[in-house]
Amino acid sequence: MSSEQQPSSAGSAAPRQEMLGAENYVQLVDIRKEYDGFVAVDEVNLAIRKGEIFALLGASGCGKSTLLRVLAGFEQPTRGEVKVDGQRMNGQPPYRRPINMMFQSYALFPHMSVEQNVAFGLKQDGMPAAQIKQKVDEMLGLVQMGAYAKRRPHQLSGGQQQRVALARSLAKGPKLLLLDEPMGALDKKLRSQMQLELVNIIERLGVTCAMVTHDQEEAMTMAHRIAIMDAGKIRQVGTPDEIYEQPNSRFTAGFIGQVNLFEGKIEDDEKDYISIRSPDLPAPLYVGHGVTGYEGMEVALAVRPEKILISKDEPEQPHNKAQGVIEEIAYLGSHSVYHVRLPSGKRVLANMTNVRRWASESFTWNDQAWLSWGDQSGVVLTS
Amino acid sequence: MSKGNSKLSLTLLAIGFVFLYAPILSLIIYSFNESRLVTVWAGFSLKWYGELFADSQIMSAAWVSIQIAFMTASLAVVLGTMAGLVMTRMRRFPGKTLFGGLITAPLVMPEVIIGLSILLLFVSLGDVIGIGSRRGMTTILIAHVTFCMAYVTVVVSSRLSEMDRSLEEAAMDLGANRVKVFFVITLPIIAPALISGWLLAFTLSLDDLVIASFVSGPSSTTLPMKVFSSVRLGVSPKINALATLMILVVSIGAVVAWWLMSRDEKRRQRDMQMALQKGD
Amino acid sequence: MNAVIGWLRQRLPGPRWLVIGVPFLWMLLFFAVPFAIALKISFSQALIAMPPYSPIVEWNDTALTLKLSFNNYLYLIRDNVYVSAYLSSLGIAVVSTAICLLIGYPMAYAIARMSPANRNICLMLVILPSWTSFLIRIYAWVGILKNNGLINNMLMGIGLIDEPLQILHTPLAVYVGIVYAYLPFMILPLYANLVKLDHRLLEAAYDLGAKPWQAFIKITLPLSRAGIIAGSMLVLIPVVGEFVIPEMLGGPDTLMIGKVLWGEFFNNRDWPVASAVAIVMLALLLIPIMIFHHHQSKELESKLS
Repeated sequence: MSSEQQPSSAGSAAPRQEMLGAENYVQLVDIRKEYDGFVAVDEVNLAIRKGEIFALLGASGCGKSTLLRVLAGFEQPTRGEVKVDGQRMNGQPPYRRPINMMFQSYALFPHMSVEQNVAFGLKQDGMPAAQIKQKVDEMLGLVQMGAYAKRRPHQLSGGQQQRVALARSLAKGPKLLLLDEPMGALDKKLRSQMQLELVNIIERLGVTCAMVTHDQEEAMTMAHRIAIMDAGKIRQVGTPDEIYEQPNSRFTAGFIGQVNLFEGKIEDDEKDYISIRSPDLPAPLYVGHGVTGYEGMEVALAVRPEKILISKDEPEQPHNKAQGVIEEIAYLGSHSVYHVRLPSGKRVLANMTNVRRWASESFTWNDQAWLSWGDQSGVVLTS
Repeated sequence: MSKGNSKLSLTLLAIGFVFLYAPILSLIIYSFNESRLVTVWAGFSLKWYGELFADSQIMSAAWVSIQIAFMTASLAVVLGTMAGLVMTRMRRFPGKTLFGGLITAPLVMPEVIIGLSILLLFVSLGDVIGIGSRRGMTTILIAHVTFCMAYVTVVVSSRLSEMDRSLEEAAMDLGANRVKVFFVITLPIIAPALISGWLLAFTLSLDDLVIASFVSGPSSTTLPMKVFSSVRLGVSPKINALATLMILVVSIGAVVAWWLMSRDEKRRQRDMQMALQKGD
Repeated sequence: MNAVIGWLRQRLPGPRWLVIGVPFLWMLLFFAVPFAIALKISFSQALIAMPPYSPIVEWNDTALTLKLSFNNYLYLIRDNVYVSAYLSSLGIAVVSTAICLLIGYPMAYAIARMSPANRNICLMLVILPSWTSFLIRIYAWVGILKNNGLINNMLMGIGLIDEPLQILHTPLAVYVGIVYAYLPFMILPLYANLVKLDHRLLEAAYDLGAKPWQAFIKITLPLSRAGIIAGSMLVLIPVVGEFVIPEMLGGPDTLMIGKVLWGEFFNNRDWPVASAVAIVMLALLLIPIMIFHHHQSKELESKLS
């Protein structure tokens, strides 16, 4: 179950998590959603903390958007329970939930000015006009759009539209803010700037936020914690560094970033180390910590390309090394990716940061090269 | 963007337009003809217009038709919008297929069939509850709404299906219930489609001869019925004058609509340009 | 009191059912039920009375009798006039649909390939005539086609003919009228389809060595199938039952079923036979109408998803 996968992140998390509050502020319990026999969301259990930015990350069709729509109230779950701040949300229509959403297309009402858009939700609550005015000014000031209050949405650029959409969804002071692919409609250059700005505003208000994205960089930049979804199921929940450095399965390891997987069997299972024999390379694989396993167990060792060292001479360590031929070099500016073919036929990726403009030890196609990595660089995957 | 046309296809297009407009042009020209004989030009005259306005039968038939068309269009827009919502916004329900069939069938159904069968309904209703035996404007109105509604539904559904659904969801998310969402968000956004649906229903009703002939009573003669009975007796320049007036009204309406639309489009493009240049 | 309101709220239809129910009931009552009544009356017999047909369900003191008469249908089969009217209506409809397609396709194609500004003007020019009275546009052709009409005067004026050609009240005039009146209904769906055609597909075909006419036949034509079907149905089905055009432009020998039905109803006052004529026409048109409906709903669904 996914609740077991949640790491106890009290100590390991980023410092900004210190201000986070109640553990189970938003709760999804055994949520299942079916459409005509197709299971879009399958037994999902999630808990989002108060004040947290939580990202649902997955490829398109993985069920993340359905889950968001279940939270918003546009879809009723087939089974399971949604709770926000202790209140059961099931059966409540969207217009009675203390939840607001920023839509992927922003969904700004084209026949209303910026001001009227932001005021829309407040009007529905029957707030007095003077108070609405004050609140709208405050929200537009927050997103630095005060000067555009009288404009129509089509008179704004994409970035400006997003600010208005954010102000509109925050105006009612929702208990939970939902972001649906928040950067989906922006061009790449604007994205990184808006990502940080969005996080700043959300954190300043301390609003709890669930976002959906297919962009791992976006999830890692913006979210405190990420849930990786695939085929309607949650595969792993954790902080960005946990997800990247401690993937719990071959799937998450491969989903986030690039990874080399060495399949093999545990040869030596000790308390403080294990060694794995893999047909991919002649030297044994050595991991400097114990795992819950047994001798002969089928496992995989995942090693990220940037953790692999590439050298001309054979490294001195007796394990975690292999020799191969450089088949491809992709020069990416800040670093280069080397594709090395081992004698077993296994292809290994290794990154090398381009520290100097002209490296003294440079490799070219068809060069023999040694690959090696440290005892703590790999992660043992059992599933 | 323009993909370019060959001379051949432009020529074919031009011939097609000549075919479409030559008869209309001939109507207009001969409405100003002094002579009663349509084919002989005897000098410019407005006397047929004078006779047209003096013809109290045609005038009263025109008034009947305009009243019916106005009411038909208004009712058909209300019902057609509801049907459009059902077609585009509602999940499946028992009978939705039948509903869709009932809505699209009048688009192609021959008018004689619609006219005959709806008359038979009115007669049968007359047997049962005693209405319908007094046939007149009400029965024409009901019959016209029935077939005009289908056209309005097509226009409105098309606009509704192109509209961004998340606008409605956003309004609901911000606290407006379904009824309020419809009146505050959906309706203003599809308003242009409602206007063109209204105009379409108005002209369809104003133009109908066959259905009205079946269901009208002795006291209610519509303009097409009057025109039909008078042209059966032979060509009359008065009808040319009437036709010219109708064409004039429709053309002015079309040109105004086109001008409004293109002005709107230009402003929108200018705004977008501005936003892009100023954009951060 | 609250219990009553709660009960009412549960029992009364919500806004959803109101929105479905009102147009649904309207169409059932004024569109579907009338066909059922026409079907019923087609099994009764003509009477000189008001209404001029016999009831098919009768109370005879104690027994309920159902008197179904197939005479009207037998009459339709026996009398050659009806069979040949159906056949010639279908024939005229098919031929004029084909002519509309032949004229309309190049026009729609040319309009779809224009710049957006010109496109809108041309589209407006196609629609504009159909916003003016149908009856009056057909009437215009009377003035053009008749013996001392425009065409004959012109032809005699340039000395091509000595005596006026008989065009009005011939099948030719009916074809001209139908094609003229229904051409916009062919052009609009074709245009709507062709304007969506991705021009890069044609470029890809040229790039792979197809000549323009080959690319047209292999790419454009198959991809515009939906538009061809929609346009053809919009012309074919109503033309089968057309009344005004054969009445005004056709001669006494131009048999069309719409005219026959009109005559049975208004001149002979034989409502049961008129109903039977309508029911058979409907049966003939059922398949084309279903094709049209299927196509319409597919179009809407593709837009919605």
